[in-house]
Amino acid sequence: MGRLENRVIIVTGGAAGIGRAYIEGFVAEGAKVVVADIDPEGAALAAAEVLAGGGEALAVVVDVSDPDQTEAMVAMTLEKFGRIDGLVNNAAIAIRVKHVNAPVEELPVEEWDRVIAVNLRGPFLCCRAVLPHMKSRGYGKIINIASGTFFKGTPFISNYVASKGGVIGLTRTLAREAGPSGITVNCIAPGLTASETEEMPASHYEARVPDRAIKRVEVPEDLVGAAIFFMSKDSDFMTGQTIIIDGGVAIN
Amino acid sequence: MGRLDGRVIIVTGGGQGIGRAFALRFATEGAKVAIADINGPAAESVAVEVGEAGGEAMTVLTDVADEESTTQMARAVIGRWGRIDGLMNNAAMFQRPQITDGPIEDIPVEEWDRVMAVNLKGPFLCCRAVMRQMKRQMYGKIVNISSGTVFSGRSILHYVTSKGGVTAFTRVLAKQSGDWNITVNSIAPGLTASDPERDPRAYEGRVAARALPRVQEPNDLVGAAVFLMASESDFMTGQTMVVDGGAVMH
Repeated sequence: MGRLENRVIIVTGGAAGIGRAYIEGFVAEGAKVVVADIDPEGAALAAAEVLAGGGEALAVVVDVSDPDQTEAMVAMTLEKFGRIDGLVNNAAIAIRVKHVNAPVEELPVEEWDRVIAVNLRGPFLCCRAVLPHMKSRGYGKIINIASGTFFKGTPFISNYVASKGGVIGLTRTLAREAGPSGITVNCIAPGLTASETEEMPASHYEARVPDRAIKRVEVPEDLVGAAIFFMSKDSDFMTGQTIIIDGGVAIN
Repeated sequence: MGRLDGRVIIVTGGGQGIGRAFALRFATEGAKVAIADINGPAAESVAVEVGEAGGEAMTVLTDVADEESTTQMARAVIGRWGRIDGLMNNAAMFQRPQITDGPIEDIPVEEWDRVMAVNLKGPFLCCRAVMRQMKRQMYGKIVNISSGTVFSGRSILHYVTSKGGVTAFTRVLAKQSGDWNITVNSIAPGLTASDPERDPRAYEGRVAARALPRVQEPNDLVGAAVFLMASESDFMTGQTMVVDGGAVMH
């Protein structure tokens, strides 16, 4: 008997990297999953692999910064599975979808807007789309993905760090708004994770190792246990909180 | 197949309240549980409960504020089971015996010292006692119990100060222990209805401040404790998880 038996969970950015690891972890615990991704082939492939393994999955193509598409994502999920228990706001501009590294005065304004649109407006729109359903059921589990960079003030990615700090703010306010309806909203803040190893050289990930209490490269599987915890009833009295999982660099 | 199968876990203050809930759930997840408590009969009764549920438990009479007592605690557990995988530093002075909830000038100096001795020196001594064994194993899970009051600044002065120390202690010890794959994290509970002899109304005052507006029960904390004792949290260290229904946000 899995810890997420029959729970229906949407994972945005679920086709690859960390999102894909969440999908696999949730399915192993008995959940039905929605692979929501901007990459149609990736989403279809991830869903097909779940089905091939005997699980239940639905692929949905979604740009999380577009309200029509996030509403459609929720409608398709309800049509297929009839309910939504969990949402992981994992889609973000980070590695696969690249962003520009630059000091604030040189960061193009469009670059700021583009990152905020996906990383902050995206979670807002996805939460906005699932909340009426979750409130009507009196239960729901939302996980937002922040970043250890928020706690460190990592230079030259002000748009990314600000978007992730905003995600923590959204988590806290939404936790208070939705708590009386039995909905928990929590945040996981990963360190730099070797999630898309084809896109980046190994040295990119290894550079962070010396700062850590646990001196190794972070991998997507390091984050799955916390995600299952926040999706399961084990966390039903925890809300509005952020946990950092980065091998002990940033501290919260 | 439990998530803590084969793990040996010490729970200080395991004879009652929240500690008892931790011990019972750890055993359900397959752990062997050492119930370390200053109250021998209370520890014994929880050990019996664990046994009746099909689990394995031992008791160790322990005063966490006493160095000799904590080293004997570690020795007894290693003597019985050969290893220590987890330490739950749960024993603390708070409700029993009742401590002074009042302005600084009304707190007896001896009471301040006693609260620090149990709530802060206690975790220090218990970690000190198990650390050599965990380093030898190249693995260990330490969970300290802090308090949501550290973030809200609500009374009680000496209690909250001791728990703030626990959070700081967690952070430094985590940084020092990672090379041996030992994780050190804290859980910060809200006011929890852990004392059946206390007037239930005493717990209801906090409900209105919570995002999840109800009384907190010991079982609300066990999921986080299992997570931090299991391999699932092996890359998380130095952190504090507030589990209080969303009163403070950390």
